[in-house]
Amino acid sequence: MKDFYLIYKNLTRKKMRLFLTTFAIFIAFLIFGAIMSLRSALNAGVEMSADNRLVVVHKTSFTNPLPYAYVNKVKAIEGVKDVTHANWFGGYYKEPRNQVVSFAVDPQSYMTVYPELVVEPEQLSRWYKNQTGILVGERIAIANNWKVGDRIPLSSNIFSQKTGGQTWEFEIDGIFKGNEEKIDTSYVLIHYKYFNETQSWGGDSIGWLILTTLDASLNEQVAKVIDSEFANSNNETDTSTEQAFNKAFIDQIGNIGLIIFGVVFMAFFTILIVVGNTMVLAIRERTNEIAVLKTLGFASSRIFKMVLVESCLLAFLGGLLGIGGAFIIIKGASEQMARFLPNLVLGSDVLLQALAYMLVLGLITGIAPAISALRLNIVTAFSRG
Amino acid sequence: MTSENLFELNNVAKRFTKGKETISIFEDLNMHIKTGDFMAIMGPSGSGKTTLLNLLGGVDQPTTGEITFDGQRIDNLSESQLAKWRANNIGFIFQFYNLMPMLNAAKNVELPLLLTNLSSSQRKAQVETALKLVGLSDRAKHMPSEMSGGQQQRVAIARAIVSDPKFLLCDEPTGDLDRQTADEILEMLQLLNKEFGKTIVMVTHDPSAAKFATHTVHLNKGKFVKAEELLL
Amino acid sequence: MSTLMSQSAAVIKMNIQSLPRRLWMSLAMVFASAVVVAILLAFLAMAKGFDATMKSAGSEDIAFFMRTGSAAELNSSASREQVNLIENAPGIARDEQGPMVSPELYVIVDGVKKSTQNEANIPLRGLDQRGVAMRKGFTLVAGRMFNPGTDELIVGAGILREFDGFELGQEIRFGKYKWKVVGVFSTGGNVFESELWADAKVIQNLYNRGSSYQSIRARMTSPDSLPLIAEYLKNEPRLTHEVQAESSYFAEQGKSLGYMAMFGWVISSIMALGALAGALNTMYTSVSDRAMEIATLRAIGFSHFSAFIGTMAEAMTLAAIGSIVGSLAAFIFFDGLSASTLGGSFTQVVFSFQLSPDLFIKGISMALIIGFISGFFPAWRAARVPVIVAFQTAR
Repeated sequence: MKDFYLIYKNLTRKKMRLFLTTFAIFIAFLIFGAIMSLRSALNAGVEMSADNRLVVVHKTSFTNPLPYAYVNKVKAIEGVKDVTHANWFGGYYKEPRNQVVSFAVDPQSYMTVYPELVVEPEQLSRWYKNQTGILVGERIAIANNWKVGDRIPLSSNIFSQKTGGQTWEFEIDGIFKGNEEKIDTSYVLIHYKYFNETQSWGGDSIGWLILTTLDASLNEQVAKVIDSEFANSNNETDTSTEQAFNKAFIDQIGNIGLIIFGVVFMAFFTILIVVGNTMVLAIRERTNEIAVLKTLGFASSRIFKMVLVESCLLAFLGGLLGIGGAFIIIKGASEQMARFLPNLVLGSDVLLQALAYMLVLGLITGIAPAISALRLNIVTAFSRG
Repeated sequence: MTSENLFELNNVAKRFTKGKETISIFEDLNMHIKTGDFMAIMGPSGSGKTTLLNLLGGVDQPTTGEITFDGQRIDNLSESQLAKWRANNIGFIFQFYNLMPMLNAAKNVELPLLLTNLSSSQRKAQVETALKLVGLSDRAKHMPSEMSGGQQQRVAIARAIVSDPKFLLCDEPTGDLDRQTADEILEMLQLLNKEFGKTIVMVTHDPSAAKFATHTVHLNKGKFVKAEELLL
Repeated sequence: MSTLMSQSAAVIKMNIQSLPRRLWMSLAMVFASAVVVAILLAFLAMAKGFDATMKSAGSEDIAFFMRTGSAAELNSSASREQVNLIENAPGIARDEQGPMVSPELYVIVDGVKKSTQNEANIPLRGLDQRGVAMRKGFTLVAGRMFNPGTDELIVGAGILREFDGFELGQEIRFGKYKWKVVGVFSTGGNVFESELWADAKVIQNLYNRGSSYQSIRARMTSPDSLPLIAEYLKNEPRLTHEVQAESSYFAEQGKSLGYMAMFGWVISSIMALGALAGALNTMYTSVSDRAMEIATLRAIGFSHFSAFIGTMAEAMTLAAIGSIVGSLAAFIFFDGLSASTLGGSFTQVVFSFQLSPDLFIKGISMALIIGFISGFFPAWRAARVPVIVAFQTAR
């Protein structure tokens, strides 16, 4: 476009003002990128759940145990494909501060219900055979510098050993990865049998069941059947899809979504006001020149477009820099936060949203000055100056 | 083929309404400007000079009456049509030059050419020609802030003629210049008129400017008067 | 010196009076400062409220026993035998009934949260009259105490605020068991108000605990008894427990929302940078808008300094106004706002946002820093406006 040179020159007239305005937009999109990625990571647990996987927990609280006998009972229910179970171990590595998310599971059935976990075959079969073996996720292995073959102690802040103390020894038989980028690999798996036989409280109880249905359309029906099977017993169940369960858990933390939305909205709105004002002021200062351009024969609509292009360029300039900055921050934070937030990454969904908002910002801040430039009357403009 | 009268104004009236009051600038104004004229319009402030200039430039429309340019009516054109018409036919020269402060001389002169379909190299060539004509080839890359008033006005003239319009409209072109520089500018305008056949209308205060024009008219309170009548 | 003052005062007055000319840009600066302050205060109030709720629950003279390695009461356990052993520890106060020791149970039940209309976990604590007496500030605000050995319970005032279905006289069902709400209690607004209380023995029965408990509280003869008790625990092989002052336990728990305060500082600092950019823009525009006036004053004889002060004062005033607006907004919208979030044992902790003078000071300071920086550089420029500008015609 021939007008591009003129637009560029108009943008760069006052270097300090350009810098400050770009910086303000940069800040807005830095916040947007970082916080939306955070939100995405919090929701990823929800999104990543398979749609035909159900979770069965104790009705009163997922912290209450269920009888082991339930495993076979659920297996027998129509529509159920595979069943596995897990216990929350409450693990920590060396110090209580160094928490390790750990589950005591039945290895074969667990890997069947969670096909997105990928392990090298020899590692997997070694773990299957070794009762004191532990399978660690890639992320947590990196965080703690663990290698296959290491012997590590894992302590529990809930359970103690029959023989005293709260620490168990394990050999790392393998490392598992996810078959997609966002899959959580920041936890570890140990054998239920070994755990159950050595922990001091005794009894055969499990934390919860996870099962797959033959088809996602059967989910609701299967869930109903399971819950009615155990209704009015000593341990009533609550069955929901894995997605619903994860979402309910996050909900408990409070209205995180609202807080995040509120902060981002305020940041944007503030920037909008600041940048919008600057644009209006800049155009007002150019009244004379706009009148001259019209006198030379530039159509009003052409000038209108030029102003909008100018404001959009400004928005994209600051916006792309901001997203770039957010990307760097997220990259750095994701290593630090690997333990709590395993899927922290600035994804394409956040990027696309940001681009859309850059366009919106450019249009909103440019529309008022563009219209005033469109309507500018040459005669009044010159008689003013 | 250009008609004998480049401009014809017939029964032109221009009135402004401010609330309940109506101010009349012109009533029943008639004039013609011949092709190849260099006309100076003089008159005290408030005489309507500026309004007449605006009407001739298609920047303002008459309340009633007709304005014809080269046989074509311009008083009934839409705003976008007028913009095109101005781009094709008129070059403007202002009292305060009105150059874009952030563009250098060459880029300023190039502006009217952005309204055409010429290629980049064609535009460059025409800019060079225009600057050569006004004697500022060596200042092509200079910014307005680096030039004197006279030089800036010459750049403005180059801009006004770069797309070779038939008609130049000048609003107090020497109003801000010293005597010597003013004369240089007026000589240049005379050159454009005599050698390049451009029709020029110049609104001015400067009595000695009239010497460069082919003929002078006087405006007083919206009417053309003879020079002697002004002394009354 | 006094002419300097009167000059500055005159310039400041002129600047402020000329504000309406730059109304929108000035308002933008005020708005940006207000938003920064409000956001900072919101997060700080959240963290402070949570912390206060936790901290105020703990007493310095109550010894709190949990099984070693337990992160929270939920994970702990204590057999009857172990409770008896602890009753014999040194440094524990006694009254006519014997050692002032309260063994307690902590089980999880469900309630429907008003805000999300979804279920969330709340604690049901099993204790006896001794335990109730150990909560300082305990009062019954409605109804009566539960009768031991019955299925009656009392609910904390916080539960009533944030959850549905726990009103006085209501019958509640947890799993197979039915309970009746016979009273509402308050403990001065701390975390205990997010709990349901019932008779310990009844809970042992219903939840098949036999004669076991989970945590133990004991009133100490004085806070200095703590090391004696700790020593006793170490030397008794049958006890796998650790002791701390109840106040320390809750202080730790209170820190868990500390990340909110950190987050608040980080976010509002970043936004402050954005607001600063906007403020600088406003002030630079102000200076160029008034260039002619400044130069004219200098031509008359006013000093550089007065021009400098005039601009600084304008910037600080706008920022200060912004901080007041922001503080007011934070106070109106956030002070006392009730919220609940996940606490240590995966149960909900009800707390209120808490604003206090020291938080306001922090907010205002941040705004004033923005005002100072955004005023300084333009003020420097204002001081250097050359007199010649006064003689140039405005175009």
